[in-house]
Amino acid sequence: MRPIRSASIHLHDLTLGYDRHPAVHHLNGTFAAGSLTAVVGPNGAGKSTLLKSIIGTLEPLGGSLSLSLPSARVAYLPQSADLERDFPISVEDLVAMGLWRTIGIFGSTTRAVRAKVTDALGKVGLAGFETRLVGTLSGGQMQRVLYARLMVQDADVILIDEPFAAIDTKTVLDLMNLVKHWHQEGRTIIAVLHDMALASDFFPDCLMLAREPVAWGVAADVLTESNLAKARSMIEAYDPSADFCERAA
Amino acid sequence: MNTLMLFYEMSISPFAEFAFMRRALVGAMALSLGAGPIGVFLMLRRMSLVGDAMAHAILPGAALGYLIAGLSLGFMTAGGLVAGFVVALLAGLVTRLTVLKEDAALASFYLISLAGGVVLVSLRGSNVDLLHVLFGSVLALDDPTLLLLASSATVSLVTLAILFRPLVLECVDPLFLRTVSQSSGVTHLGFLALVVLNLVAGFHALGTLLSVGLMMLPAFAARFWTSTLEGMLAMATLIGFISSYLGIIASYHAGTPTGPTIILCAGVIYLISILIGGRNGLLLRFIPRKHLAA
Amino acid sequence: MDIKSSGIIISIILMLIGPVKADEKIQVVASFSILTDLIQEIGGDRVSVDTLVGPEQDAHVFNPAPKDAVRIAQSKLVFLNGLGFEGWMERLVKSAASKTKLIIVTSGIKPHSRKYKNGYEDLDPHAWQDVRNIRIYAANITEALIAIDPAGKITYENNFYRYDANLTSLDAFIRSSIIAIPSERRKIVTTHDAFGYFEQAYGVSMIAPQGVSTESEASAKDVATIIRQVKSEHIPAIFIENISDPRLAEQIAKESGAKIGGKLYSDALSNENGPAGTYITMMETNIRELTKAMMP
Repeated sequence: MRPIRSASIHLHDLTLGYDRHPAVHHLNGTFAAGSLTAVVGPNGAGKSTLLKSIIGTLEPLGGSLSLSLPSARVAYLPQSADLERDFPISVEDLVAMGLWRTIGIFGSTTRAVRAKVTDALGKVGLAGFETRLVGTLSGGQMQRVLYARLMVQDADVILIDEPFAAIDTKTVLDLMNLVKHWHQEGRTIIAVLHDMALASDFFPDCLMLAREPVAWGVAADVLTESNLAKARSMIEAYDPSADFCERAA
Repeated sequence: MNTLMLFYEMSISPFAEFAFMRRALVGAMALSLGAGPIGVFLMLRRMSLVGDAMAHAILPGAALGYLIAGLSLGFMTAGGLVAGFVVALLAGLVTRLTVLKEDAALASFYLISLAGGVVLVSLRGSNVDLLHVLFGSVLALDDPTLLLLASSATVSLVTLAILFRPLVLECVDPLFLRTVSQSSGVTHLGFLALVVLNLVAGFHALGTLLSVGLMMLPAFAARFWTSTLEGMLAMATLIGFISSYLGIIASYHAGTPTGPTIILCAGVIYLISILIGGRNGLLLRFIPRKHLAA
Repeated sequence: MDIKSSGIIISIILMLIGPVKADEKIQVVASFSILTDLIQEIGGDRVSVDTLVGPEQDAHVFNPAPKDAVRIAQSKLVFLNGLGFEGWMERLVKSAASKTKLIIVTSGIKPHSRKYKNGYEDLDPHAWQDVRNIRIYAANITEALIAIDPAGKITYENNFYRYDANLTSLDAFIRSSIIAIPSERRKIVTTHDAFGYFEQAYGVSMIAPQGVSTESEASAKDVATIIRQVKSEHIPAIFIENISDPRLAEQIAKESGAKIGGKLYSDALSNENGPAGTYITMMETNIRELTKAMMP
């Protein structure tokens, strides 16, 4: 296995948004290399948007974002709604997509590749699911397949977005153990969560967003009542008559 | 023995007797080889109407080629390819860079292309009926045209083999593809380029509008016989072959125009597939079947 | 006001304006381009001809307009082919003034009849495809011109003799061209149905393709039928200019072993600059194309 290379992610006065309205603005701080951070906040706080900017699919409106190791492998687990489930692809093939870099364009699934896939499926509790079509999976099973794909990607930085929606408790615990395992391997992990209890139980660090940073640091310090109250008072809607933002970093 | 003779008479001997029948069959089957798989991908990516849109985008380019050099294979092909590629490229750029989605982007450029073509042709003073002139005939395939069809099939299959992985990924999880590879844009454009190539080759044989039929109908029918991607690709090609054969032989016996007859056969196969298809066929629902133990 | 009344009123006005002066040209009208050519050959500078169905136009779809009635009313003579060629003429003539004289140039010709698939039979008007008939056309035209303009008798007769000699050479030229073709090759496939007189006069078989559809989409059956027909009857050439796809015609030619013929002129002359600007050049062009196609 390839050695994990630690990478930290630095945000400098980062502002992200759509159509000049900020989804989240003036973010400053660093996700330390090898850290395990939960990103929490109310709906529309800009959590998913933050992940999208780290993976590179969203350009900042202002400020900047950088990886300490630009060549670090970044893996992203989106909210599962983005997948085309009707496509006739087997579980095995979908997970094998994660080995994109090793297979290459001309490659085919070798025995080694298949072994890795089977191993990953086993670790997420889906042994024997190789030939199933993804359209026949339940929500929880689909989520676990995506985890398996994430696993074979063997990334240095892992971004997970709301991975536990509509999943039974047992699966949630299994997957969280996986995350812990990755953390122990030295990967930098950022997970967007809805469940504050999960955050406080499993995550050493936490970033609370409410369209602007509310608190960032050790989970216990962040997940306080006063911070939660501040976050709750965030206005979710974009203000059509807003002036330009004059705030400094 | 007599029924065998009759069968031979009906279905084989016309091909033995006439070279143009053999060429028609070879040409239509070559077209099916490339068009079938592409149709499957178009269907799965919910781009089934793109074929028709691209066919309209190509027409003005081919018409321009015709105006410059008459019924020249080279010029009409080149004109069609250029028009198709330009529209595909522009549509792709607009989709990637602006807020418009794929369907709007493509529609916008094919409409502009079509209108531009009509104006251009009328400016030259020619009252050529575009559709009439560019309506190819599968009965008139000369050697250069057959070569074009065969080349198009080869290029399509090779390109699909190369692009297979990213293409599938782009259909299933485009976001993932964008995060792990730079090739997402190239893949998409490459795919559209293949669509254009097959349509341009197709219009020499069947006319643009009919060649879309041979691209899409077999793919739709294949959906009802298999649930794996590889199965659909093979099935679509096979159904294309069968439609070509049946259409040509039916046109021979019934005296109907050959191109549309081929497409009608594909359509009939499609309708039958809906009803009695092995997977998801309608009539299956009425047959009580035991379920498996586990 | 309908055509009839307006025609009458206009012709009355014109009659009152004054008769044709002796040194003005004789105004005549010809129904189609071939007649125009003949009239000009005979009449020369003494005659001014208006044509109803001009070069490259189709007499079968001609729709007479009021201005045509006016031209007729202003003319001394109207030359018609007759034999049913000008189906629209009756309407036109009734609406024009009765002072104008109608000349049927085919009088004295032995007409052929043509049979249709449904058993219907009528006269074939394309008598001009036999050069010998044109000599009669020319004679009739000369007679008519002399009758209306006796002063020009010498001119008309001289022109007629000169032209008649040309026609005789033309006829001989056609015959000699055909004799040069081996007799078993004197046949073509054509969708034209206008060459009945040519066929009978010069011994070339004009075979109609069995059941071929000359519309935009040929069926495999049609193509197979033509190929079989051409092969079995050893027809050397196909003149199917109506097949919209020349590539298809090429395929048929290649597979049947026949040649594809060029354009044949049947019902009208071409433009002045074209290959069939006069009657004589039209027949020469046709025989040239036919010979080229039929020769081994």
